[in-house]
Amino acid sequence: MMDDLDDLLAGASRALVQPSEALVARVLADAADLQARPVWVAAVVPRAGWLAGLAALFGGAGSLVGVGSAAVVGLFFGFVQPDGLGAVSDMWAVGSVDQVDLMPQLDVLLAEE
Amino acid sequence: MPRDTLADLADEALVVLYAHGDPDAARLLAGRLLPRVLGYAGRMLADRAEAEDVAQEAMLRLWKVAPEWRQGEAKVSTWIYRVVANLCTDRLRARRRRRAEALDDVAEPADGAASVVAGMIEADRMAALDQALAALPERQREAVVLRHIEGFSNPEIAEILQIGVEAVESLTARGKRALAALLSGQRAALGYEEAE
Repeated sequence: MMDDLDDLLAGASRALVQPSEALVARVLADAADLQARPVWVAAVVPRAGWLAGLAALFGGAGSLVGVGSAAVVGLFFGFVQPDGLGAVSDMWAVGSVDQVDLMPQLDVLLAEE
Repeated sequence: MPRDTLADLADEALVVLYAHGDPDAARLLAGRLLPRVLGYAGRMLADRAEAEDVAQEAMLRLWKVAPEWRQGEAKVSTWIYRVVANLCTDRLRARRRRRAEALDDVAEPADGAASVVAGMIEADRMAALDQALAALPERQREAVVLRHIEGFSNPEIAEILQIGVEAVESLTARGKRALAALLSGQRAALGYEEAE
């Protein structure tokens, strides 16, 4: 009986049920109705890649390019140390700076009051 | 996109195209999926009108989910069969509830097999198979139809029915044995007598 049953099931598998024209029309009407909604295409959210995520973190692709360029230029100057750069920095710096106190202590502030 | 090119695309790509407004994608998807889901729902519900309602509802849910569809995360066929399975389960439950309310004091037939045997006298082989399938417990029927008629693999059936693969194997084996028992002795009605 199992062989006969396999035969019967295989026959059922080959027999495709044809939907009525009315059903096809209803299904396509549903599809067209949803597609016609104004928010439809706008609702499609493309999958964001890691680069897009990084750009969003920096406030957009333009900002990311700017930050990236600055980093590359900085690295360039760090490696090549162009002639004259020391002279320019010497011109700006008056004398030597041993210590810069960026966080004055609290007692100094209290003493001023 | 030209229709010939669309026809070569996978279901998942068509869903994405539909979501982007391609007018032919829906037609192609309906042509591929509707006969299959209608056949499955028909075998589960044994009612053409109800099967059409379920098929339309399943397709509607596909259109609705299309804008959020992620290619590579799920197969459209597996997804839509899961929707159909759930819709059929809901309708079968509602049917049982209505029947219980309507026939509160009337005894249920002891076994569906008797009606299967009676039905087979005049029915053709497919009708006999459908009747025998209708007599199976719901989960066994789902597993047998998905495995042996719709041609899904056991892991795919497990995904559709949201159960383990071992449970699928057990349901399919028990369902097939029960089906053979329901149809045994009916070889002549099924047209197999000459083969002996």
